[in-house]
Amino acid sequence: MDMPDGATDIVHPEVRAHINSLVSALGGLSVDDDGQYQLGDDALEVLRDIKRWIRFYDEKTNRMDVARCIHQANLIEGDLLPILATWPENANDSKYKARIALACLEVMVPLTWPMEWDMERMTVNHHRHMPVLELAQVAYKRAIINFDGARILHTAVRVALPSMAVPIGDRTQRDQGIIKLVLFFLRNIASIAPPPDVKYDGDETQISRSATIDAFSYQDIFHVLLMLASNMGDDFRNEDTAVMEIIYHLVKRVDIEKMFMSDQQLHKARADELAAVMKKEQEMLKSYSRPSRHNRFGTMIWVKREDGKMTTLMGQDAVANAATRQRKMDNAKTYRPPRRAKKEDKVDREMGPPAKLNSRANNQLQSFVEDFLDSGFNPLFSHVRKTIDREAAYLMQYHRRQFFYLVAWFLEAERMRRRSKKDSNDNNNNNNNNNNKKQDEQVTSFNLVAGVLNQEMFITLNKALHESYEYKDWHELTAVMRCFTQILITVQEMMQCGRDDDEEIAENILSRLFYEEATHDAVANIIRTYKDQNFDYLDAATELVHHFLRILESYSKQNVDMQVRSRKRTRRKKKAAQEAGGDNAADDDEGDGSENDEAKAEKTSKERKFDFHRFANRFTPQGVVDTFITFTKHYRDLSDAQLKRAHRYLYRVAFKQEMSVMLFRVDIIHLLYNMVKGPEPLDKSSSMFKDWEELVKQILRKCTKKIDERPELIIEMLFSKTSSSAHFLEFGYEKQTVSSK
Amino acid sequence: PTTQSALGIDEEVSVQKRARAPNVKLDEERLLGPAGIPKLRARAATGLRLKGRGHEFGDAQRLLSFYQLWLDDLFPKARFLDALAMVEKAGHKRRMAAARMEWINEGRPGRAGDEEERD
Repeated sequence: MDMPDGATDIVHPEVRAHINSLVSALGGLSVDDDGQYQLGDDALEVLRDIKRWIRFYDEKTNRMDVARCIHQANLIEGDLLPILATWPENANDSKYKARIALACLEVMVPLTWPMEWDMERMTVNHHRHMPVLELAQVAYKRAIINFDGARILHTAVRVALPSMAVPIGDRTQRDQGIIKLVLFFLRNIASIAPPPDVKYDGDETQISRSATIDAFSYQDIFHVLLMLASNMGDDFRNEDTAVMEIIYHLVKRVDIEKMFMSDQQLHKARADELAAVMKKEQEMLKSYSRPSRHNRFGTMIWVKREDGKMTTLMGQDAVANAATRQRKMDNAKTYRPPRRAKKEDKVDREMGPPAKLNSRANNQLQSFVEDFLDSGFNPLFSHVRKTIDREAAYLMQYHRRQFFYLVAWFLEAERMRRRSKKDSNDNNNNNNNNNNKKQDEQVTSFNLVAGVLNQEMFITLNKALHESYEYKDWHELTAVMRCFTQILITVQEMMQCGRDDDEEIAENILSRLFYEEATHDAVANIIRTYKDQNFDYLDAATELVHHFLRILESYSKQNVDMQVRSRKRTRRKKKAAQEAGGDNAADDDEGDGSENDEAKAEKTSKERKFDFHRFANRFTPQGVVDTFITFTKHYRDLSDAQLKRAHRYLYRVAFKQEMSVMLFRVDIIHLLYNMVKGPEPLDKSSSMFKDWEELVKQILRKCTKKIDERPELIIEMLFSKTSSSAHFLEFGYEKQTVSSK
Repeated sequence: PTTQSALGIDEEVSVQKRARAPNVKLDEERLLGPAGIPKLRARAATGLRLKGRGHEFGDAQRLLSFYQLWLDDLFPKARFLDALAMVEKAGHKRRMAAARMEWINEGRPGRAGDEEERD
C-alpha cells in the first residue's frame, strides 16, 4: 500500500523508510540468468538491525508498526527464504552462512509468533494491524512450507544441530537459546491457521493441516521430534513444553478413529459418511410438509378452545393434525426472552475446527503417532508432568491444558491402535498365525503408556481437577476430564486383557483411583453445577460421569467390601457435644456407653464401606438431570456413542435409582416426545433409535401412571423438584432420614 | 383569538416523557392468580383424559397440548418452551415453594386412618 503523497499513512513514515532501506540493503536476486540470490555486503548486520527494530520498536513500545512494514516489504518470501536456500545441505562448515541462517530465523520467529486478542492490553495500533498481520502470518506459513528452493524447516533444524550435538552439561546459554528458537519456529509454523472469522481467499490446501503434516514429514521434522521426545530428561530438559506444543498443534482435533483406518476402510467410511449425510438431508426434507397448493391458496382455520375462545390459523398444513396446529400457534409468536450474548472464546479459536486429513497426511501422521507411542510417550509426558509439578519458570498456563489434552489423545490413540492391530491379528490368525506374537504385543502395549498411569500422575490429575474447578478454568477442566476418562477406560481394558500381572496392576490402579472420596465428590459436583459452559465442556463432563459410574459400578461389584477414604466427620459430633453442654457427648439416641464408643470409633475412622447405590443417588438431583437433558437437546448432532451415554443415564435415573419423577417435567417430556415423534426426530435408521423409542415409551408410561396415582404431579410437572418432594411423589411416603452412623 | 394564539406558540408544551407501560411478566403473582395454577388444576380435573397403557405417545401429546393451551391463555406472548422456563424459574421463589408444598400436602393421606390403608 504505497502512499503516493506519503501523507496519511497508518505507520510512521520514518519507520517505513528505515525498514524499506534495510530490506533493500539485504540483497536481491542477481540479474544473471541463473537468478541466484545475492547477499548484500552487510547482510548480517542488516538482519541484526531488523531484529533490533522488531525488539526495540515493536516489543518495547507495544506497537506493531515494524511487523506491518516488513509484511508490506515482502521480506520473508522475497529475501529470507531465498537466503536460507543458499545454505546448501553439504556446506555445514561455512560459519558465515550458518550465522546468516540463524539471523534469518531470529527475524522470522517474532514475525510468526502467535498473536493474542487480549482486549485488556490491546491498543489502537493492535486493532489496526492485527487483522492484516494475521493474514500475513498465514501467507508466511504458506510460503515457508511450500517453498520450492529448499526445505526451510529442515534448514531451521540444521541451525540448531550443532547445539543439540553438545552434551547437556556443556551447552552454553546461547546453545540453549538456539534450540529453543528453532523449536519455537516449528511451533509457530504448526500453530498458524487462517482466522476463523475471515474467509481465506488463497488455496486452502496449501496451508491446511494436511499440508503442514506433509511438510513436517517430508522435511524430517517428525524424526527430530521423536529424537527430542525420547531423549527428554537425558539430553534435553527445558525443551519439553516446546516439543509438546508442536505435537499439540499437529494432532489437535484429529479424528483418531479415522487415523487408524486403512485406505480401504477410510474410503468406505467416507462413502458411508456421505450416504448418511444425504440420508439425513432426505429425512429432513421429508419432515417438512409441503402444501399441495400454491402459496396464495388462502386456507384459514379456526381452532376451538376452552371458554369459547377461537384461534385463527392460516395455511393448509393446519388442516393436517392437532400437533401441527399447535406448532403453528407456537411458532407465530415473536416475543423472545432477553438473553445474554455469547462471549467470544479464545480457546475455541486456538483449537479451530476439526481437522480433515487427506489419506497421505493420514498415513504420515499415523506412523508418527505409532513411533511416538513406542519411544517418546513415556519420557516426554513424565518429564512434562514433573515440570508441571515443580511449576517451572518457563511453564505457561496453557501448557497444563495441552498436557492433559495430549495425554488423553494419545491414550485413545493407543487404544485404537491396539484395536486395529487386534482386528488385523484376528484376520491373520485365520491365516494360521502364531499366537505368541499377539501376546508380546499386548505385553508392550500397556507398558508404553505406563508413564501416565502412576501414582504421581494421579496426584497431579486430582490436583488439577480440584484447582481448575475452583478457579473456574473451564478449558483446563475440560482437558483434565477428558484425560481422566481416557485413563479410566485404558485401565479398564487392562483389567480385561487376560494377562495376570496386567490385571493385578489394573486392579491396583482402580482401587487407588476410587479410594479418595474427594474425587467422587468432585465428579458429582462438576456435573451438578453445569451452567452455560460450551458444548465441549458439557461433552467432556457427561463422558466422564458416564464412564466413572460404569467402571465404578463393575468394580464395586467385584470388590464387595470396597473402602473409600472420606473426611472425618467430627463437626456434627462437636456440635452435639456443645449442645449437651460440656464434655459428655449427647446420649439421646444411643443406648449404652459401649455402643457410644463404637459409634465414636466408627465416626473418626477414616475409611468407610462404599455403597454404590448411595453414591449413584448423588447423580439424581435436578442439577445433574438438567445437565444431561441439555446435552440430549443436541440430539440431532450427537454421535451414537454420545446418544448411548445420554440413554444410559436416563435409564439409570428412571429404573435403577427409581427416581423417574425427576424426569417428569414438561420441558423434558417435550424433548423426549419430540425425539421420537416430533417434526425432527432422531434418525430412524440409526441403531440408537429403537433403544430410545423403548426408553421414552417406558418413561411416558410411568408418567401417566404417576399422574393417575397422584394428581398433584400435574402441578409439580412444571417445576424442578427438591429431593424430598421427589421422593414423596415417587414412593408416597416421607423419606426416612437415615440416622448417621 | 389572535393569530398568534392560533399558532399555538403561546401555550407551553409539556415535553415530559410519559412512563412506559410496565412489561407483563410471567411471575409468581400471575401463576398464583386465578388464571394460573388454580385454573390448571380445574382443567386437569375436567378436561385431561389420559388413556394409559398402550397409548404412551398419544398421552404425551395430549399432556403437552394441555399445558400449551393453558400457558397460551396465561401468558400469550411467549412461546411454549420459553414460557415453561419462566414458570420453572418462578417456582424457586419462596411464595411459590410454600404454595407448592401446600398442594402436595393436600394430596397426602390425612393424619387419621391411613395406617390401615397402607400395609
